[in-house]
Amino acid sequence: MKKADKLYSIAWAMPALALYAILFIFPLIAGLYSSMTDWTMGKAEARFIGLGNFAFILNDPELLGSIRNTFLYTIIVVVFKNLLGFFLAVAVNIDIGRRVKVNDFFRTVFYLPAVLSTIVIGVVFTRILHPDGLLNNVLSSVGLSSLASDWLVNTKIVMISIAGVSVWQWVGYHMAIYLAGMQGISHDYYEAAMIDGASSSKRLAKITVPLLMPTITINVILSLIGGLKGFSEVYALTGGGPGHASQVLTTEVLAKFGEGRWGLGTALNTLLLALVAVICVPLLTQMRKQEVEG
Amino acid sequence: MKRSARRRLLWKTGLFFLLCALSLVVLVPLAVMVFGSFKDSFEVTSFDASLPKAWHWRNYAAVIKEAKLPQAFVNSIVISGFSLALTVLVSSIASFVIARSRSRIANFLYYFFFIGTLAPMQVIPTIRLFQVGHLYGSYLSVILIYAALNISFSCFLYVGFIRTIPRALDEAATIEGASIGTMFFKILFPLLKPVNVTITILIFMGIWNDINMPIYFLPDPEKWTMPVSVYRFYGMYYSDWNLVFADLALTALPVVIVYLLGQRYIVSGLTAGALKD
Repeated sequence: MKKADKLYSIAWAMPALALYAILFIFPLIAGLYSSMTDWTMGKAEARFIGLGNFAFILNDPELLGSIRNTFLYTIIVVVFKNLLGFFLAVAVNIDIGRRVKVNDFFRTVFYLPAVLSTIVIGVVFTRILHPDGLLNNVLSSVGLSSLASDWLVNTKIVMISIAGVSVWQWVGYHMAIYLAGMQGISHDYYEAAMIDGASSSKRLAKITVPLLMPTITINVILSLIGGLKGFSEVYALTGGGPGHASQVLTTEVLAKFGEGRWGLGTALNTLLLALVAVICVPLLTQMRKQEVEG
Repeated sequence: MKRSARRRLLWKTGLFFLLCALSLVVLVPLAVMVFGSFKDSFEVTSFDASLPKAWHWRNYAAVIKEAKLPQAFVNSIVISGFSLALTVLVSSIASFVIARSRSRIANFLYYFFFIGTLAPMQVIPTIRLFQVGHLYGSYLSVILIYAALNISFSCFLYVGFIRTIPRALDEAATIEGASIGTMFFKILFPLLKPVNVTITILIFMGIWNDINMPIYFLPDPEKWTMPVSVYRFYGMYYSDWNLVFADLALTALPVVIVYLLGQRYIVSGLTAGALKD
């Protein structure tokens, strides 16, 4: 043991540690303090104001709205990326005919949007979701014009539209992770179940889902973080508008940075950090427990 | 028996058509962009997925000139290239000692690095840090920040992979008198090829597609990467959608090529437990 320690000197980890500690961890900790100051652009001294920024956030309708939007957006993307991703994985995993190539094609297509920049997708979708854009045209041509809407203009649904675009982009990514998990399940389970005469829906519920729990947790955590930290989707589709109707925490940080209200912006960033910690850490602990048991 | 076989065929045919329909949902918006990029500035305003009446390749020549794409392309290559090289270099050797050493500090570092896969970065204090260090607005600042942000994810993948390589290998090499550094880069690093490729592809795509860092850390438009410059171009050339679409398509092209070539490595990165934002 001693010999191994000496041989594998931790000094080799120093360059990575230095970069990470100085440029990521240090600002994170310094930010905890700055969140409690009235740090402003152009002002020499930042004064300590305790929880003043947080009190301000909780009393400001615009910033409260951004917190609400962050939650709404996160809930929608977590639910739909996972449900649809799971469904696609099941569908693509079923052998259609003898040609496996067909399934490969669907997999490649469904994953494709996830490799593109959200900016590219966002700009294309500003046109597709335009009041006289492709989506509304398609809806009215199939007789569903009652469903047509001002997707990005109507302040009531703009957040849902943005979440929808994010689901469209990332569902294939989550499908790929579910698929990898499903392919890791031994065929023996399914064969035994088939001998016992279990229907395919029963096999899905009694074998696939329970054995896929670790994969489900990973997917939920990834989509949660993606939702809470979501920035580019909003930035590209609406820039937070109309008005402030689609502001989320990350876009408010950018806005406050631009306004020179750095203490407030840092406090919003700290709030985001706290949300990620409170929501994701219990899930991670649970995941580790599952891994130990499994 | 025959009936159930027929039912199964019917069911699979239905599934096939459903998947085809869903593929269209994915492909049509992309077709609007790709076909639109070849239309003339009037035809493009129908914003549908129809083929262009005539293929205007000139759009591409025009946008490359108007949007100063060569500059943005070089910026993207320089920033993603150097960030990637730095990340791979420092993370691989760090992961090696973390994976091999049984000391407590190595164990601590593993979890310490892991924080970065989850926590959002604190943007404004980071900017101040660079301002104090007189690096703000430079290529170097974004290269360093991308490396710092990607170290977590890379170490996570590297440590997992290195643990599957037998220790006997490094012991044999060190007996011959090689230092850990030479041993690592000469013998072990080449063995990491699959995970190197996975990390390279995922980090390259992540940096290429990112707009967050350039928005915050690169106020100078001359240094913008492709996605940021395309967004600015979109703001300026609102009416020439064929050019905007051509710019978007050119921004997407490099990652699509990398994706089609490296697909299987991407999936292996995901299965390794990709906890990346």
